[in-house]
Amino acid sequence: MRPTLAFTLAFSAATLFAPLAHAAGASDTDQERNARWQEIAKSIFGDKTIESTDTLVKIEAPKRAEDAALVPITLSMPDREKIKSVSLIIDDNPAPYAAKFEFGPAADTRELKLRVRVNNYTDMHAVVETPDGKLYEAKQFVKASGGCSAPMGMSDEEAMKGMGDMRMKFAEAQPGKPVEATLMIRHPNFSGMQMNQVTRDFTPARYIDKVTVSAGDETVFTMTGDISIASNPVINFGFKPDGKAIKVAASDNQGGRWSHSFNAPSPTN
Amino acid sequence: MGLRGLFLGRAAAITAAALCLAAAEPADSPVNVPEPPGLYTGPQRGYTPPTLKGAHVVDGAAVAEMIAGPDKPVLIDVAPRERKPANFPEGRLWLPVHPSIPGAVWLPNAGAAPLPPEREVLFFNRVEQLTGGDKGKPIVVFCHVECWGSWNAGKRLVDKGYTAVNWFPLGVEGWQDFHETRNLTEDPEWKQAGGP
Repeated sequence: MRPTLAFTLAFSAATLFAPLAHAAGASDTDQERNARWQEIAKSIFGDKTIESTDTLVKIEAPKRAEDAALVPITLSMPDREKIKSVSLIIDDNPAPYAAKFEFGPAADTRELKLRVRVNNYTDMHAVVETPDGKLYEAKQFVKASGGCSAPMGMSDEEAMKGMGDMRMKFAEAQPGKPVEATLMIRHPNFSGMQMNQVTRDFTPARYIDKVTVSAGDETVFTMTGDISIASNPVINFGFKPDGKAIKVAASDNQGGRWSHSFNAPSPTN
Repeated sequence: MGLRGLFLGRAAAITAAALCLAAAEPADSPVNVPEPPGLYTGPQRGYTPPTLKGAHVVDGAAVAEMIAGPDKPVLIDVAPRERKPANFPEGRLWLPVHPSIPGAVWLPNAGAAPLPPEREVLFFNRVEQLTGGDKGKPIVVFCHVECWGSWNAGKRLVDKGYTAVNWFPLGVEGWQDFHETRNLTEDPEWKQAGGP
């Protein structure tokens, strides 16, 4: 049998039997996921109660990610006044606590996007903290695996070229309205779990651990990051412009420090 | 390789190049990856051959059928552990999890090649215990998709005289789409022996 044919047959057989096998039930797996979430939540938030919400925060993610090392996530938090911070937890990643965003006065929280690594089929949790200190969670299941150890497909030197360079794009501004911006930071965000395929050494973890964005004198957000953030981080966020420059300060866990200033768009007409 | 090609003729040169690739570095295409003559000593991540001489190549449905059948196979997962980065910050949450086929025995990295001799002995001992010394007992070896570890583990067992070795190349990724997984902890004896 030709290998290609064998491969095709294997796949079609898997597809044929899929619905039957799936119907066998997923309760044990679900219980395991819930237990794990309880364990993670306790280690991050202590004994604080976390209520579920379908209004304060929503997570959007592809049901099945095309690239486990680059999974786009959208967090929607329509009610700015009720959001102090949001934490993104990728339950089944080895380092589950992917990111925390603490919002400042210049933030518009309606839509926040970032790209993450996903190592196993997993629940993702977004936990928002309200100004009165209460916690609310939303959950989304994502199918992707191997994202944390996926090699970048280039040498470490090449991956680190221009490290710390930044770009920012702004959506069109309208008078008195928040502006949507996209921040791109050139940085490999090495997870420490990626093997150099040639030398077979593990590239040490080198990742952006803090990003602060401010509009003039007011903070938009401070992000605390981890190895689960995809390489070359891209963050979409909203802010309230006051005509002053947008400043970005970023640092990584190996002492890298970078800052850039961008001219905020002025409202047209 | 170019000079040799001149003398060997085109087809032979391509074969030589393919063999050379298999021995030294990962294949750059999933099609027709040749079986290496012995264990594969390149990086574990990479395209694998479509075959393993002396073993059956199975898919997830076939594995599920075997598990549901009367002669349940010994399931051996050789996926490596997640490696905690050496410089991962103290106090930051590190909680690796290993979803796999329910009932499997996890012998992390048992498909590495070379494997320290005492490790290899332990691998054979564990398989002997798990099969009750029956060389004809069905065994399924797997790790992740495109991972040479399970190919090597299967090869070791075939060479040792096991006659019902099943290699499941799609591994955990090929299983989890259609079947339940369970989080495994490392086989206690394997863990106690330590090692990579």
